[in-house]
Amino acid sequence: MRKITAVICAAALAFSLTACGSDTKNDETVTIEISELAEALLETVTSDSLSETASSLVPSIYYLDEENVASAVAYASSGATSCEIAVIESTDTDGTADVESGMQTRVDNQIELYTSYNESEAARLETAIIKSTGVYTVLCVCDDTDAAEELLESYGF
Amino acid sequence: MAKGNRRRRRRSEFAYVLKLLIWVAAAIFIFEGRFIYTMVTFDASEASAVSESGTEEETETEAAQTEAVHYVISDDMYLAGLGDADRIERETVEETETETEPETHATVSDPDSAAIVGEQAKAEDDSYFSDAVFIGDSRMEGFRNTSGITEGTFFTSVGMSLSSMTSSEIISDGEDMITVAAALSGGTYGKIYIMLGANDLGEYSWDDFKSGLVSVTNRFQELQPDAILYLCSCIYVEEDKVTTGDYINNENVDTLNSILLEVCEEEGYYYLNFNEVLSDGYGSLIEGASSDGVHITAEYCKVMLNYMKTHYVSVEDTDETE
Repeated sequence: MRKITAVICAAALAFSLTACGSDTKNDETVTIEISELAEALLETVTSDSLSETASSLVPSIYYLDEENVASAVAYASSGATSCEIAVIESTDTDGTADVESGMQTRVDNQIELYTSYNESEAARLETAIIKSTGVYTVLCVCDDTDAAEELLESYGF
Repeated sequence: MAKGNRRRRRRSEFAYVLKLLIWVAAAIFIFEGRFIYTMVTFDASEASAVSESGTEEETETEAAQTEAVHYVISDDMYLAGLGDADRIERETVEETETETEPETHATVSDPDSAAIVGEQAKAEDDSYFSDAVFIGDSRMEGFRNTSGITEGTFFTSVGMSLSSMTSSEIISDGEDMITVAAALSGGTYGKIYIMLGANDLGEYSWDDFKSGLVSVTNRFQELQPDAILYLCSCIYVEEDKVTTGDYINNENVDTLNSILLEVCEEEGYYYLNFNEVLSDGYGSLIEGASSDGVHITAEYCKVMLNYMKTHYVSVEDTDETE
């Protein structure tokens, strides 16, 4: 009985640790209207009013090679919070891993910087969602992560 | 006998009315006495002196009076940099006996300084920023995120101060964190825009701040000898909204900006006075231009971008300076 309990606890711990991790689904057939998804994700941000960032700057923000980005939509903060939303379409599915990696680097850096600047925002960044499906990758740093997860699931993430 | 009864009845009626009057007078005295006393003894100058004594209750009253006065400034006036006190129309939302004049601050030390970037006849487009590098704190990052700017390289970091800009590894190149100077060494730029100060207010002695700023800007100019170096003014804050510390106030912003201007004058850099379009005319950030008092909203970041497109240094200007 103790062993079963230990296994269940370990599994629960493992699931909880993946909250900030990435999640990839390789459904190459999925097609997503990235502007529509990004706008829908905006609803999960209630503590800030995000504005659209020029798509030409998105690759540099997430350390991506411009040639690997087919299209991108990002909403970001004036600096008042760490909230941000980005939906990036890679030129092919091989590029998705790079986008995920770039987004994770961005989140890690922001956590490091916010830790000494604003701890509550650093905590928010710990719950960042990074998910991919097909050629699409999403980063969502928001207030209502449950709603964001639900929305992403409905889009096939 | 009947006459006597009538007199007695009149007397008792009179006594009844008299008693009633006494009760009414007593009631007025008890319930309105404080009000009557205040009306009789009120002295405006005394009230003013008391309000300055700083007790919580009176501060609240003063704040309520200040809130009741609404200042209306047209957008055109702001965009033209004309948000001066004498041009502001006041609209009193509720009539108040005394109006509280907002405190005014001096702006930069010399508003006619040659180091202040003036308005050009022709506005540039975003391509002007294609060889520009923007270095700064969360305000600069917010500008990148929300102004709509489409060109330029950004080395920004939330919490960036003069100290961290000088020596800390706070810029990511995608693999490692490196210093601003190291990041700057990785390319060739024609313009350098530096925005800092919000994280330096109250942190240093001002002399140390100035010498540190001279040192780091000279280092950046050495790394990019052909670049025009712009020091952006520290933008005013909305003090009432700031929760991160009393030291973030507009008096310190003014002091810091005077130093930025001095450094520009002494070292040959250019001072970009954003407060020309972001000040409310009383040495404070325009009300509503920030959600937290410090970070500028998208609407006003767009105003900043337009300001940068019309306030720049042409090559001819730099030749004349040399």
